[in-house]
Amino acid sequence: MAHLLRRSGTALALLWLVCTLTFALVHSAPGDAALLLLPPEADAATLTRLRSDLGLDAPMAQQYVRWLGNIARGDLGTSLATGRPVIESVGDALPVSLGLGAASLTLTVLIGVAIGSLQARRAGTLTDTWLTILCTTVYSAPTFWLSLACVAAVTVGAAAFGIPPAWRLPAFGLRDPGVLDSAAAPLDMIRHSVLPVLVLALTGAAGVARFARSAIVEAARGDYARTAIAKGVSENRAWFRHVVRIALPGVAALVALSVPSIVAGSVFVEGVFAWPGMGKLLLTAVSQRDHPVILAVTLLYATAVIATNLLTDLILPRLDPRRSRA
Amino acid sequence: MIGNAPLRVRIAIALLLLLVVACVVGPALLQRDPTAIGDVLAQRFSAPMQRDGSQIWHLFGTDAFGRDVLARLLQAGRLSLLVGVAGALLSGVLGAALGAVAGWRPGWIDMAITAASDTLQSIPRLVLLLACAALWRPGIPTLLTVLALTGWMGVARLVRAEVGGLVERDFVAAARVLGASQRRMLSRHVLPNAIAPALVATTLGIGNAILLESGLSFLGLGVQAPAPSWGNMIAGGREHLVTAPWIALAPGLAVVLTVTTATIIGDWLQERLAGRTGG
Repeated sequence: MAHLLRRSGTALALLWLVCTLTFALVHSAPGDAALLLLPPEADAATLTRLRSDLGLDAPMAQQYVRWLGNIARGDLGTSLATGRPVIESVGDALPVSLGLGAASLTLTVLIGVAIGSLQARRAGTLTDTWLTILCTTVYSAPTFWLSLACVAAVTVGAAAFGIPPAWRLPAFGLRDPGVLDSAAAPLDMIRHSVLPVLVLALTGAAGVARFARSAIVEAARGDYARTAIAKGVSENRAWFRHVVRIALPGVAALVALSVPSIVAGSVFVEGVFAWPGMGKLLLTAVSQRDHPVILAVTLLYATAVIATNLLTDLILPRLDPRRSRA
Repeated sequence: MIGNAPLRVRIAIALLLLLVVACVVGPALLQRDPTAIGDVLAQRFSAPMQRDGSQIWHLFGTDAFGRDVLARLLQAGRLSLLVGVAGALLSGVLGAALGAVAGWRPGWIDMAITAASDTLQSIPRLVLLLACAALWRPGIPTLLTVLALTGWMGVARLVRAEVGGLVERDFVAAARVLGASQRRMLSRHVLPNAIAPALVATTLGIGNAILLESGLSFLGLGVQAPAPSWGNMIAGGREHLVTAPWIALAPGLAVVLTVTTATIIGDWLQERLAGRTGG
């Protein structure tokens, strides 16, 4: 319990530091938000009025405290580009990204651990070497480029191979406008999800496999694995119960560490596949210099990372069979 | 050292060297201007290994403005490799310095550096890069500064742990007893022993920096046109994915080749290091 409280306290302090850093970043940037909002012919009086309306004329410390108070109450401000409360845009975008993230994270773990344990089982063989090279290549490919390649494959590629249009996967968007609220909607959603989820899951799995392999090879050297074999446990059972099982907490920690890279990947994937999620929101805000939205999305991403780290810290020790009876 | 490397590492080193040499001397040998635009209508969208409307042969074809894709690829490679290596080196040096200070001076300096590192690591690096690139003027100086400021934490953590362990060792105590200054102890006895993991992490960081540069340039926030970089070449090919896929294909393959070979070499160095220290 004391551990839980201490870790939560650290996480909150970290969140506050992230808030302060992002605030400092935005306010150290050159340019004036009020100037961005006004047409070029606006006079000085309008500028002064707008600056005081936006609270930009207050001392920096006062602005900081007010902003922090707003954040604490869940008020993320108003978009400079659309005039819409940021919380509404985030509310629309968040479910899309959470769905994409959850689906691809699950696949990432399944595929990554499967490849990693296959490699560890065949360590040193040709299969192992080729899988290492394949994983390194996929891991090294820019996500946006892989996404573009997928788009090309399902459009030009599918047409070149003579695949009938009904069988082709859609390249862009979240759903077809025509099938809203009809019985075909769930299937349509899945068809639209295949490519984005696949790109994210494969690049993630390549990274996880690289580490799962070494974690499992390490675990196979452990005394418990040798003991299990010596007392006559079948090789498969020894492999899964005494090797892969021991390596799992390490792999789980890695999965938590891969959340930032999944976030980064999803920014590009949402950008290329035109998915209206957080990544797309961030890209649009970046291109419009929409500071409140950039701030809010950055903060939410950081919250996700900090929360995953906290959860892993609390759950991880329970996953290790060597500590289960301690 | 390379003699006993596995075959795939030797191939990776050869390919990476080939690519670097091609980017360094290629533009001079090829003598085609990667940015000049000539007779657009005759020369644009020429497929790889074909002659365009002006009877000029192009190995990798031409782009939407009739520019030779190979010439642009090699010119862009200079910039992308330079930004990748310089970005990784800058963050490596910054990380080594901060990590050494944190490990050497327990107390509030260590706490401040660790807090800064934890804070920066809580924000996905790409998001931080995007926010910074949006707030400041995009370009190579901004790119390098931001790569350095967002990439030092891993190296700092490694060096801090190494230095913290070395401070306890007998040879450092011996140096202290012999009257060595703080600076001499740190520079002669501690840092040389702590630098190997930092070098490996920096090598592995090169691939990452190249990927980030290409991503930002793809979004128009990195290297600015007309200067070609692999990322903005892919962005330029995006519009013509259906009619001229080679424009986006070639720079993408260049990124994959560079980052894959750099990662294979970095992984190998890391394995060697782990073997040497028995870790």
